[in-house]
Order: sequence, then structure tokens, then C-alpha cells
Amino acid sequence: MALLEIKNIKKSFDDLKVLDGVDLTVETGDVIAVLGPSGSGKTTLLRCLNYLETADEGTMIFDGKSYDMAHTSAKEIAEIRKKTGFVFQNYNLFRNKTALENVTIGLMVARHMHKKEAEKIGLEMLERVGMLERKDHYPSMLSGGQQQRVAIARALAANPKIIYFDEPTSALDPELIGEVLGVMRELANEGVTMIVVTHEMEFARNVSNKVIFMEEGKIVEQGSSEEFFRNPKEERTREFLRLEENRTGLIREEKK
Amino acid sequence: MSAADQWNLFLDSFLKILIPGLKMTLPLTVVAFAFAIVIAVIVAMIQYAKVPVLTQICRFYIWIIRGTPLMVQLAIGYFGLNSIGIKISAFPAAVLVFSLNEGAYCAETMRGALESVSTGQLEAGYCVGMNYRQIMWHIVLPQAFRTAFPSLGNSLIGMVKDTSLASNITYAEMYMVTKRIAGKTYQFMLLYVEVALIYLLFSTVLTWLQRWGERKLDSYGGSKG
Repeated sequence: MALLEIKNIKKSFDDLKVLDGVDLTVETGDVIAVLGPSGSGKTTLLRCLNYLETADEGTMIFDGKSYDMAHTSAKEIAEIRKKTGFVFQNYNLFRNKTALENVTIGLMVARHMHKKEAEKIGLEMLERVGMLERKDHYPSMLSGGQQQRVAIARALAANPKIIYFDEPTSALDPELIGEVLGVMRELANEGVTMIVVTHEMEFARNVSNKVIFMEEGKIVEQGSSEEFFRNPKEERTREFLRLEENRTGLIREEKK
Repeated sequence: MSAADQWNLFLDSFLKILIPGLKMTLPLTVVAFAFAIVIAVIVAMIQYAKVPVLTQICRFYIWIIRGTPLMVQLAIGYFGLNSIGIKISAFPAAVLVFSLNEGAYCAETMRGALESVSTGQLEAGYCVGMNYRQIMWHIVLPQAFRTAFPSLGNSLIGMVKDTSLASNITYAEMYMVTKRIAGKTYQFMLLYVEVALIYLLFSTVLTWLQRWGERKLDSYGGSKG
């Protein structure tokens, strides 16, 4: 049975249809890259999965339980969130907490874990993302890449079934993108289930095993990442990939 | 009065004014400000969370307080209440009025500070499994306090000076004591300058404390980035 199954999710902001009937199936261990032009609904899709936005319609089967996405109770939402992690584009580390406290606070406050136990996990997670040396630093003292790695450690801390990444490298300076993608690649190798909204084609091509291409609130094409890049079926997909290739090509040339 | 006599009067009065400053002005300020902060946090959080009905009540309260003079509020809180049979002595009346008055102004400061905390902090809190109350307590309020700290410090310093108004409702704080000495000795300039210097001393110490507090908070890294 799939870990996560979404059926016919719909969401509008006022008159604007942002999600227009999206279906999605995620198996344990999947790394799914969600691609698409801006405004295609990728971020909203992710936010609906974690109830940061409430979908207007749709059903979700997650970890063996079924939910009506438009009418999920606060208790059920809490239950879902405790089994998921979320990494934001602009990190959103708690600014009044150190790196370590950022990782442990959810364990201690939401899960009532003892400080010692939480810190043991916290240190472990920080080590995993290579941030152990900066454990006592406040977010304001860390670079964007370092903040995002701490944010990943925070998302990992509760041993979630799945982690959602919302454009995790889009706010970073180009030279800092690599360190974050490196951490994500390692997680993928360790079998962490992830859905990653991204513009990083290299990541989608080489790390993710499945790709979803969205446009105007709909999934245009999806498939294994190998197939998707080698043999895109839809004309829109081909056009998007061509544009992205030009864009990254331009960036590369600028770097020279 | 000779210069030497004046100097002696100055020295004599110094403790006579300072002691009520420490025994009357300071307790009134500290107690009323503590209540004011509690009121401010509650009122600001109600408005921040947009709790129906309570939000309107809070707005009404702030409207009344900000639209009427403190002196008149004191008169109502002491003479007014006593005249309709609610027996209240000067200290509790002063505490009541000063905390309600300061609470309204500080509530506005706190509300602004709460709203300046980015919604991303709330969302991140939800995503690590915390509920609204837990996020407010551990994440949003501490950050808002850091933002509001300098303004709240200024309010406290303002309040030390405003407590001189309590002399009008028979509360024997330092301005009232000064007035009495001045009335007896006719050395108005000398004594009022003297009490001004003592007020200045109080507010200078508080300014130091405020700066020290800000540095302390900055070393926790909460404000920037």
C-alpha cells in the first residue's frame, strides 16, 4: 500500500484556480521532484499536504488512514503533521532559538520528550547535516545554506514518514546551493521519502526517482525521472525542459 | 537665605525626598508597570488572534484610555470611586489607574511587535507539531518581547515621571513631599530643581538598565538576521 495517496485535490484563492484536480501517489522511499513554471501550483500542493493551506476538495490516504482534505479536524491535522517534516524556501528557523534548540523544541514541546533524550537526537541530526559545530549558534549568525541545513535537521528530528521540501535552494546564493543539495542527496540515499518542489534540474535528474511536471494547477506529465528527462511525452514538458536548459546554460556561461 | 543655608537645606531635603522616592514612587512604578505588562500582553494577544467580541472590548478600552487625560483618570479612580461608596486608598487607586493607563499604551506596542513576527515562524511551529498556544509561548511572544523591549523601556521611564501626578490623589510620593518642604521654606527653585535631579537620577538608572537589557538580549541573537 502506498504511503501517501492524494485524489482530486482542488484549491482556489478567490477566483484563481491554483490546484485543479491533482492526483498523486507516493511510495515509501520515493524521492519525487515537482517541477513547473512559477504559478503552476507546486508550492500550494505541498502546503495543502501539510495543511498549511486547506484544500477545497480532495481525499488523502496517509499512513493507512483516510482524510477528507477539506474537512480535516485539528486533531487529525496534528496527527498528520507529527508524521511529516517540512522545509521552507526561506528556512523559517526559530530566530530566538539556537541551532540545537531549533531541532529539539518540537520534540520537547510537542512530543513531551525529556531534554536529554531530545538533545541526543538533536545532536545526531545536526551531525547528519554537518552542522554539529554550529549547534549553539543563533540563526542570525548562520549563512543561508547553514540555516537550511539546520532546517533539514529540524524536519528530520521527529523521524517523519515523509519530508516536504518547498524550493529549498531558491533563496540561496548560488555558491551555497551545493551544500544543501548534498545533504538532500544523502537523505535520498538513506531512503528518506521526500517530495521536493524545485528548479534544480540536476537534482530532479540525478537524485529523484520520480518527476511530476505541473502547469496551471494540473499535472501535465509524470513518470520515472529517467524516462521523464530522456523521453518527455508532452510538448509542454519538452518546451519547459528546453527553457530550463537554456537558463542553466546561461548561468553556467555567466560563471565563466 | 544665605548660600550656606541653601546648601544645607539642599542636603537636608535630599534624603527627605529620596526616601519617599524609594518607598512610594518606586513601588508604585514597579507594581503598576508589572500589571501593565500583563494587561498589555493579554490585550495584544486577543487582538493578534482576532478573538471576536473580546477584540472589540479591547479596542474600546484603548480608545477610552488614550482619549482621556491621565490626571482625570486618577481623579475618577480615587475621588470618583470613593464618592460612590467604593472605598479605595491612594496606593491601590494609583496602581489601578496607572496599570490600566500604561497597559493600553503598552498593548499597542506589543500588538505591533507581535505582528512584526513573520507568519513563517508560526508555520514552522505547526510543522514541528506544536499547537497555537505552544508556538505563541515559545516562539512568537519571546520574539515580540525582544522587538518591544526598547519601547517598553521608554514607557517605564515615562511612567516614573508620571507618578508625580499621584500627588494629586494624596499619594505621598516624592513630588508631594517636595511641595510640602517648598511650601514651608519658600525655596521653590531650589527644591523643585532638587526633585528634578532625583527624577533624573531615577530615569538615568533605568536607561542604563534598559541598555544593559538590550545588550543582553542581543547576545542571544534574537533580533537580527
